[in-house]
Amino acid sequence: MKTMMTRSLLALSLAGLSLTGLAATSAQAQEATFVMTARLVGAPTYNPTKATKLNTATTLIFDRLVVQDADQSFHGQLAASWEASPDGMQWTFKLKPGVKFHNGEPFNARTIEWWVPQFKGTENAFTVEAIERVEVVDDLTVRFHMKHPDPNLLFNLATSFMCIPEPKSYTALGDKFGVTEAIGTGPYKLQQFSVGQQTVLVRNDDYAWASDLSANKGPAKFKKLTFREIAEESTAYLELKTGGADMLVNVPTDFLPRIQADKAVKLVTIPGNELVYMPINTSVEPFTDVRLREATAFAVNQKEILTSLYGGNGAVADTFLISSLKESQVDPKYKISYDPERSKKLFDAAGWKAGPDGIRVKDGKRLEVKLWTQNGTEFKRLVEIVQAQLKAVGMQADISIIDAGSINAQYRKKTEHQLAIRSYQWTNADIVDWFFAAKRAGYPNVSMFNDPEAERLNDIAMNKSKSWEERVANFTKYHEYVLSQYPFAPIYQPAQSLAYGKRITLPQVIRGTGLYGPTMLDIAPAN
Amino acid sequence: MLHFAIRRLAMLVPVFLAVSLVIFMIIHLVPGDPLEHLIQVGSSPEQRAQMIARYGLDQPLIVQYGRWLAKVVTGDLGDAIVMRQPVARLIAENMPHSLALGGAALIFSTTVGIVTGVLAASFRDSLFDRAVMGFILLGSTLPSFWLALLMILMFAVQFEWFPVSGARSWDALVLPALTIGIGGTALIARVTRAAMIEIAGRDFVRVLHAKGLPFWRIQLRHVLQQAMLPVMTILGLRIGWILGGAVTVEYVFARPGLGSLLITALGQRDYPLVQGCLLMLAIAVMLGTLLGDLAQAALDPRLREAMGAR
Repeated sequence: MKTMMTRSLLALSLAGLSLTGLAATSAQAQEATFVMTARLVGAPTYNPTKATKLNTATTLIFDRLVVQDADQSFHGQLAASWEASPDGMQWTFKLKPGVKFHNGEPFNARTIEWWVPQFKGTENAFTVEAIERVEVVDDLTVRFHMKHPDPNLLFNLATSFMCIPEPKSYTALGDKFGVTEAIGTGPYKLQQFSVGQQTVLVRNDDYAWASDLSANKGPAKFKKLTFREIAEESTAYLELKTGGADMLVNVPTDFLPRIQADKAVKLVTIPGNELVYMPINTSVEPFTDVRLREATAFAVNQKEILTSLYGGNGAVADTFLISSLKESQVDPKYKISYDPERSKKLFDAAGWKAGPDGIRVKDGKRLEVKLWTQNGTEFKRLVEIVQAQLKAVGMQADISIIDAGSINAQYRKKTEHQLAIRSYQWTNADIVDWFFAAKRAGYPNVSMFNDPEAERLNDIAMNKSKSWEERVANFTKYHEYVLSQYPFAPIYQPAQSLAYGKRITLPQVIRGTGLYGPTMLDIAPAN
Repeated sequence: MLHFAIRRLAMLVPVFLAVSLVIFMIIHLVPGDPLEHLIQVGSSPEQRAQMIARYGLDQPLIVQYGRWLAKVVTGDLGDAIVMRQPVARLIAENMPHSLALGGAALIFSTTVGIVTGVLAASFRDSLFDRAVMGFILLGSTLPSFWLALLMILMFAVQFEWFPVSGARSWDALVLPALTIGIGGTALIARVTRAAMIEIAGRDFVRVLHAKGLPFWRIQLRHVLQQAMLPVMTILGLRIGWILGGAVTVEYVFARPGLGSLLITALGQRDYPLVQGCLLMLAIAVMLGTLLGDLAQAALDPRLREAMGAR
């Protein structure tokens, strides 16, 4: 009898323990912790209108009118549909019905009428610069009257800066909006935010207006999400390895081999929106000679860099734009891919002949140039490989590693640098204007590119395009011309890598231009 | 004693002014500016110029310094340019974390340092003494960045005793406090040992031994008390140093604090925030030194009299 009682008690205890365990597991399954590193660290506010830096959590708290897919196509999020007038002077948006902000306030055409003028005087004012006024047609229809056609309007509307805040709380909180509270229509509500440390979000159970980039149209799968910001990449990786985090949102390239070898961690790569390149200062000798620029550009072995430095992860770059942009599809004759023979012939034609030690010489002067980059392991390794590749065609490049916070100021001196290794992240062809327009010589136009024909094509692409198709054609022409003048050498397009543990599952296809709100809606507990 | 404290406080005023000038000039003379983090793709050079004017960065440095100092003396540290929040609020949010970490590290290094120093001095030239001093030398030379990663790998990854990073629970304080504390332990142990040995050689200690007092009673009651004077000076300096010295440790352990805030602000060249953080660290060092001096004066009336007589 005593034995039976003991057994029963033991069974009951075990059952109790199991239930407790199940409850704990269930609770755990309702929560997930994501770690953001490097560039995603340090967003000071979740006020999308005024911020100049936002992180992944922004697109979970707020929604936008439209979102952009990986193929750069646009899809409605708060907009059900939209239409541009033939002359591009009017854009009409139909809004989704039944959308509510986290505080219960309705989202409608009046919200948009209030929202657009909020950009005035902010660093993000350029996003609505082309909008003359906003007309409320009816409760769910809004029309933008334009100062001039802006085919880039949808791109602007799809950026994180154009997430839509709730008017009443935005006005009442003033500068505290986005810091102490942030109210949007997104699938998660902001619970807690410590700048540079962590953001805690809780599920918006009323959410039912996801874009078609999400398979899940209802509330998110996790009740609570914590986004931790860990600047030190080793620490971020160890958090994932030890189960302290469920996902590393942006895996540093240095850690890819380790993560690939770790059976407890899964790795997903999606097309990137970054491009690594080598600007060539066209205003200083010897690169005032276009043959020297061309010779230098064709000396860079992109495939070798992709294989040896990045383990084949990502893609080579042969233009200035990421491959998913239509404007990157230039005539093949403008593409810049490693061709050492072409490079050597161009050096010879320009009078730079190989010297006894292999370094080229002209009029008694050796072909020695300065090669700059910013601090950071990846840049340091890359610059050393490029140095060796340039040496192979007879150019001696002396490396300078400069603090990332100081290097742009050094570029602004205009004539101190000759070659540099740098990168940018952007998903629009107007980045060609940003880095090669003469008015921005020094920085961001590190190449000091100043060419009348390029300026003419730039003006057409930036200001004369009436439709998206026309803009694509105009930017493609501008891009091709810039490529033909070799003010840079394209190098590499990194993939976006996400690493995650056993507790979560990712959708088969990650939609959007990165890990943003639409994909996060489809991330689910593993069981 | 009060007269002594007032005199010492008054001496801090010119030091504060000099430090504030150095802090301001250093960050403004470093290449780069906060606008790099505010300017968006698509903005024009004219917009950049407007922003420079808006933040007063087009004014001569001495004018900018004057404006900043005038605000500082009224307790207003200004607004962070990139972070878009009052500097005082950001510092107030981060300071408690730095104080908790610094306090834990100071308690650890003081306790272990003094005990180790006393034991090493008491067993001078023994195997124990040599082993301890060897460990101390190692501890004082290890870079904190490297030591922090070593701690994480050993105690968080291998043994899983503590979390890798963060500040969400009390146990997350242990590894960073140990990392900072080990360097301090080495210093305090070395100073304690040297002072103990020096005091132990004095005549009054020989007399005590001749009288037949127990060895440990002499060491703890008489020698240690005298040896505390230089240790107090070191501790005073450590108070300020620990807050500043936590910069890399906070970064590796992804902890909030003045160090993390300063690193972020430096990377963004957020002038008002860098100035505010550095000023707080400088004030901590000054107050630490003051506390050390006051403690020394309390322990040694001769010092008090000497300062009061001047």
